[in-house]
Amino acid sequence: MSDEITMWEQPVSRRGFVAGATAAALAVAGLGRLGGDAFAATGAADAEGTLFYYNWAQYVNPKTYAAFEKATGIKVKKGFYDSNETLHAKLKGGARGYDLVCPTGYMTKVLIAEKRLEPLDWSKLKNVSKNVDPKFHNTPDDPKSTYSVAKDWGTTGFMYRTDKIKERPTSWKEFVALTKKYGKTSMVDSSPEVVGSIATMLGYSYNTENEKELDQVKKILLDLKPHVVALHSSNYDTLIASGKAWMGLGWNGDGLALAAKVPAQYVVAKEGGEIWIDYYNIPVGAKNPDAAHAWIDFVYRPQIAGLETSFTYYGSPLKRSLLKGTAAGKLLTDKVVFPPAATVRKLETNEVTAKGTRLRERIWTEFKAS
Amino acid sequence: MASTEAEATEHRRGETRAGAGGPRYPGWLAVPAVAWYVLFFLVPLAFIAVTSFGEVVGFSDVAYTWTLDNYRYLWDDFFGEFHLYRDIFLETFKLSVIGTLSTLVIGFPLAYYIARYAKHKTLLLLLVIVPFWTSFLIRAYAWLIILDPEFPVFRALGMSGFIESQELLFTPKAVYIGVAYNYLPLMVLPLYAALERIDWSLVEAAQDLGDPPWRAFRRITLPLALPGILAGSLLVFIPLMGEYIIPVILGGNKTFYAGNLIAQQFLESRDWPLGSALAMVVIGALTIALLVYARALGRQEQHS
Repeated sequence: MSDEITMWEQPVSRRGFVAGATAAALAVAGLGRLGGDAFAATGAADAEGTLFYYNWAQYVNPKTYAAFEKATGIKVKKGFYDSNETLHAKLKGGARGYDLVCPTGYMTKVLIAEKRLEPLDWSKLKNVSKNVDPKFHNTPDDPKSTYSVAKDWGTTGFMYRTDKIKERPTSWKEFVALTKKYGKTSMVDSSPEVVGSIATMLGYSYNTENEKELDQVKKILLDLKPHVVALHSSNYDTLIASGKAWMGLGWNGDGLALAAKVPAQYVVAKEGGEIWIDYYNIPVGAKNPDAAHAWIDFVYRPQIAGLETSFTYYGSPLKRSLLKGTAAGKLLTDKVVFPPAATVRKLETNEVTAKGTRLRERIWTEFKAS
Repeated sequence: MASTEAEATEHRRGETRAGAGGPRYPGWLAVPAVAWYVLFFLVPLAFIAVTSFGEVVGFSDVAYTWTLDNYRYLWDDFFGEFHLYRDIFLETFKLSVIGTLSTLVIGFPLAYYIARYAKHKTLLLLLVIVPFWTSFLIRAYAWLIILDPEFPVFRALGMSGFIESQELLFTPKAVYIGVAYNYLPLMVLPLYAALERIDWSLVEAAQDLGDPPWRAFRRITLPLALPGILAGSLLVFIPLMGEYIIPVILGGNKTFYAGNLIAQQFLESRDWPLGSALAMVVIGALTIALLVYARALGRQEQHS
């Protein structure tokens, strides 16, 4: 049983690319989680000055942990989830003691509505007020920024090995065609991303709830199933790096991390797709909200924010000018990390409702069972 | 559930022992076990049972409305024209049956050898158990390396033209291999326990009296090993009905079994009532299987 729980929490991630990850390394990480989880499960008392950070794995630069511990004396205890839904299930299931979590906007909205978040104390977030681009405050997800600060933003598209695939796909249509041609595609294990992306290919909204439209999406997905190598939010990109898959549906940061290892290209599809913002939230029941505030404020020092972006390859919400001269300086002109306005305009955020979720999960079950 | 059976067996033995004037144990010794059982099995089970009659309101909240909708939904699926969940359950059943049979076929000769012929029984048993010292998860990941088409053995086999190694990883075959490996000790240990008790002079006597080896095996060894076979099958079959990790790791997470389906309802779909109803269906099916098993065991004991 503990194995199953650990499985839900093995480090799998937004930025799932584990450099040169071997199964052994993953397994060791899994073992590490076993210990961490036991710690959480027993609710062992947090020493003063410990931050329990529950996050996507590989979503924080290891150097940032070290710098934070050195600067504040606060130790960071880490936990990992592999999807917003897993995080939600944990909080809903009564897990307590996480000081800081990083769900995507749509999930932040849900957590606010369900009263699972603590309001932020903005007097402790001076760097955030000073350095973050104001357009990332007061978003529709949290209209008065009462509970959240943007952590990163990015897109959902696809990546492919430029050395294996001769074509230069730019659209979901081509992605689907090449998936059928080569049978070498991996995808994140997440229904909103996969269903939504195919919906945009058909010219529908990423968030469509129209059953006829979703039925068409389902047909295309069932058609693709035999050509899919694996569905893993953790290692869909490692599979591409190792050559077991040649194309993958996933997130831009993973795409760029992949391109740093092997010849690869990340594409925001012509038809559209998802744009997302992940937020820092402090869940109800946090044992050390002060430490959480300290972390949030710390990472918005420009040098640290640069360090983060240079590791995750996701857009920082910092004012662009402040990133010049930081570790992320040379990424400022990268269109994958910071897509141009024209690209951003055709993308949608996840606004799927409860009804839409049910329909998507049903499609997802059929897709996996087929 | 295996423990229930063990308790039942223990109970029967206790009776004979008491009848024979053996030692009697004070009843309060059972308190910790019973308390554990009530707290961590019956209470959660009650939660699941109650939740299965609820419905989702809003984004994820459960309203306890005592509706039968979830069961009706599953009934319609199981017996209707469109049977998504039924297919998943049948696949799961298939996995459990094949998994049980393959561990039996692989495990029986091993247990037989250790029980009857091996010189270093303890050492061999230890080797059977050693994998349990490592996390289940790590053992599953290890197979990821072994089944990798780049793994030297497969490269050699692939070059020799024997197998199409590419086809193995992330297929149902990989799931079956992982299952057979991971559940083997659960089958071998009870088999060994049963075989070890056999008085082999009975087999020799049968052969001396003219039985060819296979008939001696069928008439002596097999009936005496049957309790071990049934216990091992139970230990493998029941957890397999909820197997969740091996399909995720070795099946590429694209083959779906009941365990994955239920986990999805709780973790991804936020539909606890439907997940609970699915869990109740599995529990119900297993209970029936268990009753059949208990009867088979009862009949077996009457025979011997």
